[in-house]
Amino acid sequence: MKMEVDPALIGQEYDHTTFAPVTEAEIREYVEASNEIPASEVDVEDLIAPPTFVVRLRGRRFMPGGMPRMGRTGFDAGKDIEFGVPVRPGDVLTASSTVHDVYEKTGRSGSMAFIVLRTVVTNQRDQLVATIDQKMMFR
Amino acid sequence: MAQASGADVIDVGYEIGPLALTLSGAEVKRYALAARMFGGRFMGDEEARREGFSAQVVPGNMSLSLLSRLIGRTFPNGVLQRLSATFRALIHPGHALVVRGVVTEVHRTDHGDVLECDLVIESGDGERLVTGTASVQLPPAG
Amino acid sequence: MILDLHCHSEASEDSRAPVETYLKWLVRKRDLLPLDGIVLTEHRQWDPHVDYRALEDKYGLLILRGAEVETDYGHVLVYGVTDDMTRQFDFGDVRLSARDLIPAVTRMGGIALPCHPGRPTVGLCEHYVSKPPLDGVVAVEALNGGSRRGENERVQALIDRYGYRAVGGSDSHLVSFIGICATEFDRPVRSVEELVEALYAGGYRPVDFRSRLKEASA
Repeated sequence: MKMEVDPALIGQEYDHTTFAPVTEAEIREYVEASNEIPASEVDVEDLIAPPTFVVRLRGRRFMPGGMPRMGRTGFDAGKDIEFGVPVRPGDVLTASSTVHDVYEKTGRSGSMAFIVLRTVVTNQRDQLVATIDQKMMFR
Repeated sequence: MAQASGADVIDVGYEIGPLALTLSGAEVKRYALAARMFGGRFMGDEEARREGFSAQVVPGNMSLSLLSRLIGRTFPNGVLQRLSATFRALIHPGHALVVRGVVTEVHRTDHGDVLECDLVIESGDGERLVTGTASVQLPPAG
Repeated sequence: MILDLHCHSEASEDSRAPVETYLKWLVRKRDLLPLDGIVLTEHRQWDPHVDYRALEDKYGLLILRGAEVETDYGHVLVYGVTDDMTRQFDFGDVRLSARDLIPAVTRMGGIALPCHPGRPTVGLCEHYVSKPPLDGVVAVEALNGGSRRGENERVQALIDRYGYRAVGGSDSHLVSFIGICATEFDRPVRSVEELVEALYAGGYRPVDFRSRLKEASA
């Protein structure tokens, strides 16, 4: 599988989504499901989402249009997240996504195509909440 | 699992964890729904097989959350600045996992130490399933 | 003389390890990891302008460089990379011809060693099942620190059958895995040229430090 990707796609914003305000219920649901912060340590006066809460943001488009077919199945190959200010109930988050990198390599699973999608998340005060590099593998 | 106390001097080589656990299918499904990951592969064995997997799959994001959990439990007053993970193999519920790490670098600043950490999720027999890193800002001493 | 012949820094897309942090780690762990240096073998690339001499002086450790490239017989470590080599072979190509690469590297003064030969798909063992053996292979990476259970063990049959020599490397992508497997040389190695010479000459073997590391942390 030889990958031919239009270099013009790299760095182009393909999705820009502003989400409904984060609710306390959503944060609590994630706290309880992830156990990332012990429930006993959740501050009821100042509820803050666990760091990886930001991965639940789903924009309107996961991948840009115009990408070549990259294989039968896609897998989450990894993430790299830089965290900014924490997420609190009422925050209005905006996610801007671009294609950061595309490459291919071979591994145990055979020939694989990788696409790195970069999502920058900001809040209503235009503060950086997170920069998420999501590495998708296709084979 | 050891929690770093305020009196601990965290230095290179400080061991993080281990956190030993086994995820159930129900926990995985609950996490996937909370994380808005609705793919059949995360919901149960039957749904996963329909998608071509041998069994229900633990989402990569859940592995990421486990790494964050380990850091949070070890450094409860720390602030996670960066977290990375490479998912090397599929993880299925019902298998023993060990999450561990080690401090590889300490940047001493006036605002508190910043720790660089290597992290790993291993299977019960020591195979590396997830590898990652974290940067953690500790509060200033005193 | 002990060198980790296979490791990746942040220059490889799947590694998070700064070179300097590797060296700091080795200095700190010297009692458990008695290495004299490392050989950085970044994935699918070669930058002729990188210079680590200042770090070598600062930490008293040798830093050499090679590359890990991808071929139709699996992954290969190339030492003694030259401009001629990178003109003839695109190191970013994941479909290089091993049959062309290995003898060409030798002609151009370097050496190419198949790495993690026991690994599925990207290891030599599997390719030798259905394809003729390669000419010019002197040694293989018999001990790879990133391999899964059974993968290193498969390599002995290959070595016995074809008479290949054996080297070791950590294949580390994280700081704390540097040097866990390495190669011990009977003679000093102070440069890439001497490394290439030594690998052709013999007098080396893989060394495994994983059990002593495990005992130390128990």
